[in-house]
Amino acid sequence: MTGLILKDLMTIKRQIKTQAFVLTFFLITSIFMQQSLILFTIIIFIVTFQTITALTYDEQSSWDKYANTLPISKGDIVLSKYILSILLMLFGLILALPIVFFIHRFNNWASAEFFLTFNLLVTLALCMLALLLPIYIKFGSIKGRMVLIAICFIPGFFSGLISKQLPDIHLVLINIKQYIFLAPFGGLFILWLSSLISTAIYKHKEF
Amino acid sequence: MNAIEIHDLRKSFTGFSLNDVSFSVPQGTVMGFVGENGAGKSTTIKCILNLLKKEYGEILLFGKDIVEHELAIKNDIGVVFDDLHVPETLNATQLDKFMKKVFKTWDSNYYFERLAQFKIPQRKKVKEFSRGMRMKLSIALALSHHPKLLILDEPTSGLDPIIRDEILDLFLTFMQDETHSILFSSHITSDLEKIADYITFIHNGEILFSEDKDVLHYEYGIFKGNKEEISAIPEHAIIRKRNGAFGIEALVLKNEVNEVFSLEKPSIEDIMLFYVKGSV
Repeated sequence: MTGLILKDLMTIKRQIKTQAFVLTFFLITSIFMQQSLILFTIIIFIVTFQTITALTYDEQSSWDKYANTLPISKGDIVLSKYILSILLMLFGLILALPIVFFIHRFNNWASAEFFLTFNLLVTLALCMLALLLPIYIKFGSIKGRMVLIAICFIPGFFSGLISKQLPDIHLVLINIKQYIFLAPFGGLFILWLSSLISTAIYKHKEF
Repeated sequence: MNAIEIHDLRKSFTGFSLNDVSFSVPQGTVMGFVGENGAGKSTTIKCILNLLKKEYGEILLFGKDIVEHELAIKNDIGVVFDDLHVPETLNATQLDKFMKKVFKTWDSNYYFERLAQFKIPQRKKVKEFSRGMRMKLSIALALSHHPKLLILDEPTSGLDPIIRDEILDLFLTFMQDETHSILFSSHITSDLEKIADYITFIHNGEILFSEDKDVLHYEYGIFKGNKEEISAIPEHAIIRKRNGAFGIEALVLKNEVNEVFSLEKPSIEDIMLFYVKGSV
């Protein structure tokens, strides 16, 4: 397991270095605009989704064909991607939080509001990973993108059709605001369920 | 003991199937696995490695079922495909770091010795490697945890004769330990002439023969003649025959043919061609 995570980190090292330029640009922009939320969102999503980059590199080289000749269980191969994504997210948070607090030394953004945003963003990132990883593991990066578009488009289309019957999203958010601190744990639970689905998918794959 | 034993293996896809494939690789020997492209060599190897799920049959490695004892078995095997399947941004040193975590028996000194022997750069990315370098790195990776069995799927295809010769020498060195075995799939029969003890021939998903290489060379002969001459050879002695450039050629059982007929010693390629292109 540690070997697989190490291999993925070595694989995406260069990619992360490249992304550092993009992050630097957004860092400067956010400091000047006093807008830490954009920076925070970008750091969390760019860093966390490097797992998808690692999956794409694996796919391009038919890595799974080789990895499955090694004494590594299929469960470990899948789980390593989930652990990698959580590690990357933690790295992203460690990177982003000091910068966000630094920017807010110069304005008076309420800490409660930041806490709400922080929880929502982390939960959103975890839920997106929970959706993306099984799709990419099942279909690969090219087909996976198509499936992802279909999955996002179809519910969006139908919710648009029945939007009048749906409760007001703002009211829902206000009602659940007091429970928002639980949201990242919910996200982690969904990610765990997703890992079980991905493992089941992977065990049925042939290489 | 057999390093590999396959009994009645079946696996089907649209338009192709393996039909009751059975053969074994005795420990301490090199089995050449031959057949034309699409004959079923890679499918059989993928089933042996449990990369493809068999539909029927039994696959034993070191006497153990590959599905039930997959991880334990994979500790003792080294695999080389026709290409190096690792992310191309990695280099040989990074692969050493990964392998150290995978195999308890990983021998970094041996690995770096092989890299030096093959003149493989340690810090250059895999994507910048030539095909020959990729294959040499693949072989160094397969050997450096000191496996008991090598499973090679077309490891020399597309390589020049000098590199092929270097690689074959390395396999011969590996075979100096009597407990080591190799399953070597290739359609380059000259490589198998050099290295194999046994030959298994697969055609259209079926095993046509699995035999000692010396038996093939010394029990079979090629007869060349005209229609009248071939009629003098007993029917049961003729394995396959075909029309050649100067008459009829037949693959025959040497001991069943009268000594007055002069027979040529067949190569593995000759035998393959008779089985694929000849008629009974």
